Amino acid sequence: MDSSVPDFVLFLGRFHPLVVHLPIGFLFFAFVLELYGRWNKNPQLYMAIDLALLGGGISALVASVLGYMLSLSGDYDESTLDTHFWFGLATTLITFFAWGIRSGKLRIAQLNGLKPNMVALTLVVVLVSVTGHYGGNLTHGSDYLIKYAPFGRSEKVVLPPIAQLEEAAVYDYLVNPILESKCTSCHNSSKKKGGLSFQDTIAIKKGGKNGEAFIAGNVAKSEMIRRIMLDPHDEDFMPPEGKTPLTGEEKSILTFWIDNANADFRVKLADLETPEEITSIASTMLGLEDVTGKSGIPLPKVGLVKEEVIGNIVSAGFKVRELIFESGLYEVVLPPNFINSSNSDDLDGKLEMLLPMKDNIIWLSLKDNDVQDRHLKTIGQFVNLQKVELEKNPITDKGIAEIIGIQSITGLNLYQTKITASSLDNFLKMKGLKRVYVWGTAITEDEVARFAEKQNRPDIIMGM
Amino acid sequence: MEEDKSKSENPLKVNRRHFFSQLSVGIGSLALGSLLIPDLFKGGKGPVASQPLGIPHFAPKAKRVIYLFQSGAPSQLESFDYKPTLVKRMGEDLPESIRNGQRLTGMTAGQDKFPLMPSAAKFSQHGKSGAWVSEFFPHIAKIADEICIVKSMHTEAINHDPAITFFQTGSQQSGRPSMGSWMSYGLGSENQNLPSFVVLTSRGKGNSQGLYSKLWSSGFLDSKHQGVLLRSGKDPVLYLNDPEGLSRSDKRHLLDHVSSLNKIHHVETGDDEIESRIAQYEMAYRMQMSVPDVMDIKKEPESIIKLYGEESQVPGTYAANCLQARRLAENGVRFIQLYHQGWDQHGNLPNEMAGQAKDVDQASAALILDLKQRGMLEDTLVIWGGEFGRTNYCQGNFDPKNYGRDHHPRAFSIWMAGGGIKPGITYGETDEFGYNIVKNPVHINDFHATIMNNLGLDHEQLIYKYQGRRFRLTDVAGNVVNDILT
Repeated sequence: MDSSVPDFVLFLGRFHPLVVHLPIGFLFFAFVLELYGRWNKNPQLYMAIDLALLGGGISALVASVLGYMLSLSGDYDESTLDTHFWFGLATTLITFFAWGIRSGKLRIAQLNGLKPNMVALTLVVVLVSVTGHYGGNLTHGSDYLIKYAPFGRSEKVVLPPIAQLEEAAVYDYLVNPILESKCTSCHNSSKKKGGLSFQDTIAIKKGGKNGEAFIAGNVAKSEMIRRIMLDPHDEDFMPPEGKTPLTGEEKSILTFWIDNANADFRVKLADLETPEEITSIASTMLGLEDVTGKSGIPLPKVGLVKEEVIGNIVSAGFKVRELIFESGLYEVVLPPNFINSSNSDDLDGKLEMLLPMKDNIIWLSLKDNDVQDRHLKTIGQFVNLQKVELEKNPITDKGIAEIIGIQSITGLNLYQTKITASSLDNFLKMKGLKRVYVWGTAITEDEVARFAEKQNRPDIIMGM
Repeated sequence: MEEDKSKSENPLKVNRRHFFSQLSVGIGSLALGSLLIPDLFKGGKGPVASQPLGIPHFAPKAKRVIYLFQSGAPSQLESFDYKPTLVKRMGEDLPESIRNGQRLTGMTAGQDKFPLMPSAAKFSQHGKSGAWVSEFFPHIAKIADEICIVKSMHTEAINHDPAITFFQTGSQQSGRPSMGSWMSYGLGSENQNLPSFVVLTSRGKGNSQGLYSKLWSSGFLDSKHQGVLLRSGKDPVLYLNDPEGLSRSDKRHLLDHVSSLNKIHHVETGDDEIESRIAQYEMAYRMQMSVPDVMDIKKEPESIIKLYGEESQVPGTYAANCLQARRLAENGVRFIQLYHQGWDQHGNLPNEMAGQAKDVDQASAALILDLKQRGMLEDTLVIWGGEFGRTNYCQGNFDPKNYGRDHHPRAFSIWMAGGGIKPGITYGETDEFGYNIVKNPVHINDFHATIMNNLGLDHEQLIYKYQGRRFRLTDVAGNVVNDILT
């Protein structure tokens, strides 16, 4: 607040938005009375027009005075304010003028033939509408009225979508969207609360009445950060009461930008050392979140699976569970002993059914289901597998060779299968492999001990 | 969608909100309706409403939980929290600066002195991690590098019932769903022939505290999520076989007919519990086939029996239950809850606790090893622990050979293994008296949040609306303990 303006004046000024509605009501009512009177041929109605105009004039005068008081706060864009101010004054004057003619207090011979009432009233209504419109722009911002209009919605500058998080310019992609959603409704070029505007980068650098909004590289001295971090009940807290406060994530981004990015408007994430927290917030904001999310497991991006495909697979006896909502990634389990020697030929067909979603399966369990080497040929096409449970099946080293191309497998369960130590070398070729379970196979402790000397090998887990 | 359908079926199920939304016809009243009830058209907070149940919120690390609950509260000071200071200061009164106003139970509140009592069990370090484990637990000591010991658990309750209820349901007052029920609700079942939440109980010779079915109740969740208690004895499920003269097809006809009658009643009343009841009958019918097979530990080879100990052959023992737990896990049960009673050592602690430890030590370690060799430890979260800790001062006569310890909520130890928990670490620290936590406290809400996290569930998003309030297992608190996650 400008200290030269007495508080009491500002206090009165804040009644302006309340009082302005009186002249609007009065004047429109006067106009309606005139129209209705003409249409209805009821001259009695005209009697009230005098009074409505007088009321409109007086209330417009009061509103103008209060408006002037409010304008002293300096929170508003001057050019819009000027327009509003002059239109307001014009409305008041014309209203009194119209009342003068109407009531016969003012007699101007030249105007007699012009049906002055209709003309003056129309003018008054136009003026009050224009004034009100500019007033509204001052309070709510110039895009308030048509923001949700079904027509001619002015598109904002659309940022080109990015595929890699690193390409994102910190300000454009992360900071600005936060400012736009939480700050610019009060801090824009036409409504500069506290003299501060976040409309564009120049305005942001300029700061407001309390000085600079931020100090590059110094969060502790940055006013905007101080204010958003305050206790929400604090008088200085931003955004003010009634508006949505910033979330923790949004605060982190702003802090990161000022401190780590030195409040640079061009710098990209790739140019900075970005803490994991920021990366994760940023990827969520930009919709780039690889669905790893919180668990830190890298996951492939895949398309969604048609429901009928899932339906078929489920009716074939598989248990199918989507591992993350709308990720298209699935765990597929064939219940143990579903396939045995009596129906072992069925398995080929069942595995074929999985092919339409082969990229979507990341966990596959076929334990104890008479899986043979030939089945692994089909499974070899499931390129995104991470966990594979093949234990208690008669598979051999030949079968393993079919799946060594799947580099994403991290865990491979082969206990109680017919594999031998010759598969160990194949495991080395599977770069992602971390754990192989070989309890109950022909592989011996000695062989595992020798294998343990190799570099970049998975853990081989034996029996206890 | 489903909800809407059931609403249209029965007028009794229309609640206030539905009533209001029915009122709003046409665009004008629609707008009015949305003014009156701001979230009328939102249906709650984003993902909560849109995400169907049974799908994790993010990539899970664990698929199931085996919770080895040590009922009665084993002493942390004779198990995992080694405090040499207690030896040095044996018999000294607990300094007030340490007790710091901690309330006491009625059992020791009358004592004029609180003499510090060191552990009767010797401690040594084990594994690459150098974890301290007492001599009461030689087998668990051997798997020190597989487990994560949390020494900084704390709770709010000071007596068994509220404490165990808190651990199991997230609230000290009974009535909320058990954590197993929440997991069943959130993740669904993996094997339709078995319940997704199974409870097994056993009892040691030590001083016992009661167990009640409310601990595995589904609370306000659908009762199909309730824990199914398998009896601790020769017959885990009674009347599993049909009576003589009743064929399987007769039984089928009987169930079909009962079900059709129940469905008529459901149409009349709209009570969802009737549908649950129908589902339960069907589950029981399927369990007649599945249970004998799953519970038949006779099929286990000699090497496995040896691993779990000879006691695993005696139905109803903790060891047998551990073996059963593994078999249930293999068969797709999501949450397997074991309780072993008898850990409430107010007196005669050295003897009683040695006995209790003997009951559980070998089988607990065996379960970890067995899961590991089957490749199941990586997606099975195993938890071992009680409902609170025990005091560092002596209850009753001061006798280092035969002492007791009272309840202590401020700090106690549990351990976890597998299912996305970092192996071979110790988390959190207590002061030199073992009385207060000095580093990384873990509240029960945090514990629940962490377990849910590893199952892929966001504890802030798994919500059930009941009687106008949104409920979570962690209520309004809880932080995932990220430091102990892989």
